[in-house]
Amino acid sequence: MLDQPTNERRLTIARAMAEAMQQEMQRDPTVFVMGEDIAGFGGIFGNTRGLFEEFGKERVRDTPISETGFISAAVGAAMDGMRPVVELMFVDFFGVCFDAIYNQMAKNTYFSGGNASVPMVLMTSTGGGYSDAGQHSQCLYGTFAHLPGMKVVSPSNAYDAKGLMTAAIRDDNPVVYMFHKQLQGMGWLGTEAGATVNTPEEDYTVEIGKAKVVRAGTDVTLVGLAMGVHNALKAADKLAEDGVSAEVVDLVSLVPLDRETVINSVAKTGRLIVVDEDYHSFGVSGEIIASVTEHDISKLKASPARVTFPDVPIPYARHMEQFCLPNPDKIVDAYRKM
Amino acid sequence: MVVDVKVPQDLWQDDGMEAVITNWLASDGASVRTGALIAEIMVEKSQFEVTAPADGILTIAKQIDDIVRKGDVIGQIT
Repeated sequence: MLDQPTNERRLTIARAMAEAMQQEMQRDPTVFVMGEDIAGFGGIFGNTRGLFEEFGKERVRDTPISETGFISAAVGAAMDGMRPVVELMFVDFFGVCFDAIYNQMAKNTYFSGGNASVPMVLMTSTGGGYSDAGQHSQCLYGTFAHLPGMKVVSPSNAYDAKGLMTAAIRDDNPVVYMFHKQLQGMGWLGTEAGATVNTPEEDYTVEIGKAKVVRAGTDVTLVGLAMGVHNALKAADKLAEDGVSAEVVDLVSLVPLDRETVINSVAKTGRLIVVDEDYHSFGVSGEIIASVTEHDISKLKASPARVTFPDVPIPYARHMEQFCLPNPDKIVDAYRKM
Repeated sequence: MVVDVKVPQDLWQDDGMEAVITNWLASDGASVRTGALIAEIMVEKSQFEVTAPADGILTIAKQIDDIVRKGDVIGQIT
């Protein structure tokens, strides 16, 4: 038995992201990585560990704290034939560099009449739950997904994390790759064990724009992404104790959004709860509900519900932040009120 | 033969420092090979790797979020 290699290969999302970048850098000399503390330090979320040692400072470039400068540089490099992967350390920092992101990265293909493409990946951390306060804990999924011209993905587990990163690097469009800190397996950010899953060593892609039914059910559809998927799966376990069969849909991508998988699921269950750690209003939760209701409202047996972060800055105090965050009990309560 | 999986003595300097298990990258009951990465432990926001000291079947003794120190047995390989 010991002569057979073990078929188990569990990775954290941090390791899965690093492995995807490593393999793409080995395969394609135009791929390089840029960002703050991503070289010798390996990224503060562990997602570039080992790259500097293998590929050196030309292809794994530490930058000053100047997001406007290095994200704009990545846009130029991408338009000139390179495939940069650039890290915006916390998505909350988008304020200083959003012109580079949404006026340049997202629009230059259109502005050039299709003569230039911008094949870059902007990876950025999202989410809270570990008391890092209002400038280090936001999700901002809706903010990025709202703006045309860039794909937006967010993995819930290591398998998807690796396949999405590989797909993002190979994509000829700009891709915003949003990774939730509590799913990274870094300990000090809080650890969701369900994100650490078997992950093949060979390279593969996970399709951008395709949602996944991660648990089949018949009574209610729970839709989420990233951390929301894990909260939904735990809620589904609790609901099952009372004989309620919940189906869980992992969106995986926000742009393009796989509305069809959500619509088909709700057509079967008749009930919809959206779980989103981003702010309640004007966001992913509203978009999902609108997509279902404008398609065929007759399929719904009850008004849809959403479990989201209230429209307030994210508190630092632990009990206040935990009070605001979505959790499995809130999802169960939402079902009970339907 | 039973081989203990111990927190290594040489990963960090301070002998009294508490560490925490942040991830098991192999499951309880899984077949592992010598040198395979099986766990991650963290000391003050720095992560360290624990590798399998032998070929065999892993039995996990300490769980994720458990506090450990240098030399503690966190699992066994049989």
